Amino acid sequence: MVWSWIPQNWTLIWQYTLDNALLGLVPPLIGLIIAVPAGIACVARRWLYAPVLSLTSAIYALPSLALFVVLIDYTGLGNLTVIIPLSLFSLCILIPAVVDGLRGVDDSVRQAATAMGFTQLRRLVQVELPLAVPVIIAGMRVAVVSSISLASVGQLIGVSSLGYFFIDGLQRSFPTEIYVGIALTIALALICDLILVSVRVVLTPWTRGRRAQARPFVVPVPPPVGAR
Amino acid sequence: MGFLTFAVDWLKSPQQWSGPDGIPIRVLQHLEYTVLSLLIAAAIALPIGMLIGHVNRGGFAAINTANVWRAIPTLGLLILMVVLLGFSPLTWLIPLVVLAIPAILVNTYEGIAGVDPDLKDAARGMGMTQWQVLWRVEVPVAVPLIMLGLRTAAIFVVATATIAAEIGLGGLGRYIIDGLAANNYGEVAGGAAVIVVLALAVQVIFVGLRRLVVPAGLREQVRASR
Amino acid sequence: MITFEGVTKRYPDGTVAVDSLDLEIPGGKIAVLVGPSGCGKTTSLRMINRLVEPTSGRILLDGRDVQDANPSVLRRGIGYVIQQTGLFPHRTIEDNIATVPMLTGTDKRKARERARELMQLVGLDAATMAKRYPHQLSGGQQQRVGVARALAADPPVLLMDEPFSAVDPIVRASLQDELIRLQAELHKTVVLVTHDVEEAIKVGDLVAVFRPGGHLAQVASPERLLGAPVDDYVRDFVGFDRGIRRLSFFPAADLGLADRAILPAAAQVSDAIATAKQEGEPWLLVTGEQGAPLGWASVADLEGMPPLSTLADVPLAEVGHTFRPDTDSLRAALDATILSRTERAVAVDADGRVLGTASYERLRDAIRAAEEAADRGGAPAPGLAPGAA
Repeated sequence: MVWSWIPQNWTLIWQYTLDNALLGLVPPLIGLIIAVPAGIACVARRWLYAPVLSLTSAIYALPSLALFVVLIDYTGLGNLTVIIPLSLFSLCILIPAVVDGLRGVDDSVRQAATAMGFTQLRRLVQVELPLAVPVIIAGMRVAVVSSISLASVGQLIGVSSLGYFFIDGLQRSFPTEIYVGIALTIALALICDLILVSVRVVLTPWTRGRRAQARPFVVPVPPPVGAR
Repeated sequence: MGFLTFAVDWLKSPQQWSGPDGIPIRVLQHLEYTVLSLLIAAAIALPIGMLIGHVNRGGFAAINTANVWRAIPTLGLLILMVVLLGFSPLTWLIPLVVLAIPAILVNTYEGIAGVDPDLKDAARGMGMTQWQVLWRVEVPVAVPLIMLGLRTAAIFVVATATIAAEIGLGGLGRYIIDGLAANNYGEVAGGAAVIVVLALAVQVIFVGLRRLVVPAGLREQVRASR
Repeated sequence: MITFEGVTKRYPDGTVAVDSLDLEIPGGKIAVLVGPSGCGKTTSLRMINRLVEPTSGRILLDGRDVQDANPSVLRRGIGYVIQQTGLFPHRTIEDNIATVPMLTGTDKRKARERARELMQLVGLDAATMAKRYPHQLSGGQQQRVGVARALAADPPVLLMDEPFSAVDPIVRASLQDELIRLQAELHKTVVLVTHDVEEAIKVGDLVAVFRPGGHLAQVASPERLLGAPVDDYVRDFVGFDRGIRRLSFFPAADLGLADRAILPAAAQVSDAIATAKQEGEPWLLVTGEQGAPLGWASVADLEGMPPLSTLADVPLAEVGHTFRPDTDSLRAALDATILSRTERAVAVDADGRVLGTASYERLRDAIRAAEEAADRGGAPAPGLAPGAA
């Protein structure tokens, strides 16, 4: 470990960290924007969920590198080529999260809201979505951490990220660079994870004091294709 | 449809289907990496997951560790291994196994620990030993989640084995890495197409496996709860 | 017989679930542990098969300390039924029932054969249900499977933890009746935990009332519990109208019946009026050819009829509820009297023939005599189905 390398390359490190953060955060946000209406649709039309789930599970199974190179021909070697596949992966994680979150709302709460005269839209916005927030954020945590970690693969097609230090470290056989890249990737992921946990605490004050459910890792990979 | 044209053209060429660089050999290599890593990871993670699930302790730590694990950049880990260890089977085996473990471990833990306490109570109340409770009740009931863990691990391993071509490994990632280096998009596209097919095929295998090992009484129940 | 000797369960955080419990549960009877939640009744039950280990004290099963047995072997000899059934979702109904026999090494075919017999015993159709899975059955059916599973190894002792609490009242009542019927056949030593005092009184031969903090408040037969609760706690717990509920435990056999003012339909109206005047009764009970009750004729109606017509021509008021002195309780007799518009209840025999009528006066005397006998220590009549009003 050559510590002096770090201050010497501070500007470079900062630049690539920002690049990596961008690649790691934009896709989950895009995923979320699509997943919320898609999830709502899947809850409203039950038959829709099985095929959507089969599709997302198939996409989720594809290696990121393969998707990047498929896109090269359409979107060139820019950020978009990495952002699109990572957004798709985020979508695959978030749609089941939104659906599980909405379905997890206690039926008695839903009926009480209807009985008090909520319209469907109002009930969705004021009752169901807020109650689904913890599950949706659990999905966001998985999506953000995965995207940040996967962004470095984009370096293989030349899209800059902390992955730069891996490739450069390999070519120069210089472990320090690789350590720094790994450490910063993990640190970046953990910071974003922490922010998301804080967001959940702020958005769902009623869950405070209750033991939070610690099950963020189980990626909701859907049931088998052709389960019906 | 540029990508498809490139891919089909490359795949049509007979020279891709034979020899040491041919698709059949590369597919076999890719499967070898995948199966070997999965088996080793399962051999480590299944017993540990069953144990901590059965005694229902340490799960919180396991889940949180697994969450940090997810943040490890696979490309960085692979490259670090090759810089530190040089090139040996361990260079790729260690990262692949390490990446596969958390998914299997956490899902196994969740599956076993999540078995309805009433079931465990009934099983113990009828005089099953701890061992019998685990094997006759907890494991069969947890099979759907355990299978999900293995499947998720398989996704990680197939994807990571692709990237591993960057450090000189065989397998289907070779076509992409070599193609990119040689500016040969046909090879890149063809390789990506084969990888997509392989990844989907692995998923189909897991679907079939799931049919085979999930007890009949649980199948409809799981489906109904979805 | 199951004996608790100074049994205490204290948890590491200091909560005392059961506090030096002394209790003797007779063999071959249904003993019910009843009390509000947190009174230690379930903990006490689970200490019998060592799902919970006592902090101090001993539990003897037929004189042998359960601590001396291997827990698994002990449990295989004790049937165990829980509220949520605990059926294994991955096993068919017959394999669920055959669990313990297969654990103890009975071969699969024999164990399954036995499972099918047990299904018939608990009222499930083996032909259609043996190969099904638990989630395909209704709640009541699942609970029956739970009972069959507990009986599979023919254990002398059966522990039941709130076995009927998760099903609706109608199903619950039928499961309770089923348990009483099974017990009459099998004579197991049953320990049943419930928070429902009605259930305790209905199915129990012996009821142990717990109070919060793991203390016993009273151990008594259901009739004694209703008739002589030891303190305000038990009185409140047993609840309202216990005096009337207690009548369920007194047979109607000793009720003195009156056979006056009963006439066959063939009797002439003029004779009937004379009889009524002589007896001083405003109503006459009219019987048919086989002695079956047809209805009540009022003297006021009779006086408007031609004197030579028979009672068959008179409009009759409905008989309403009847009771059988040989099988019914005083509660049933009282109920029939209250519901009768003539203030007299009709007693019939097994063939439906009129034996006589009971009036409030007679009932009052019979109730007083029965209560006095019970309070002197006379046991309630055996074989009377409690709660059969």
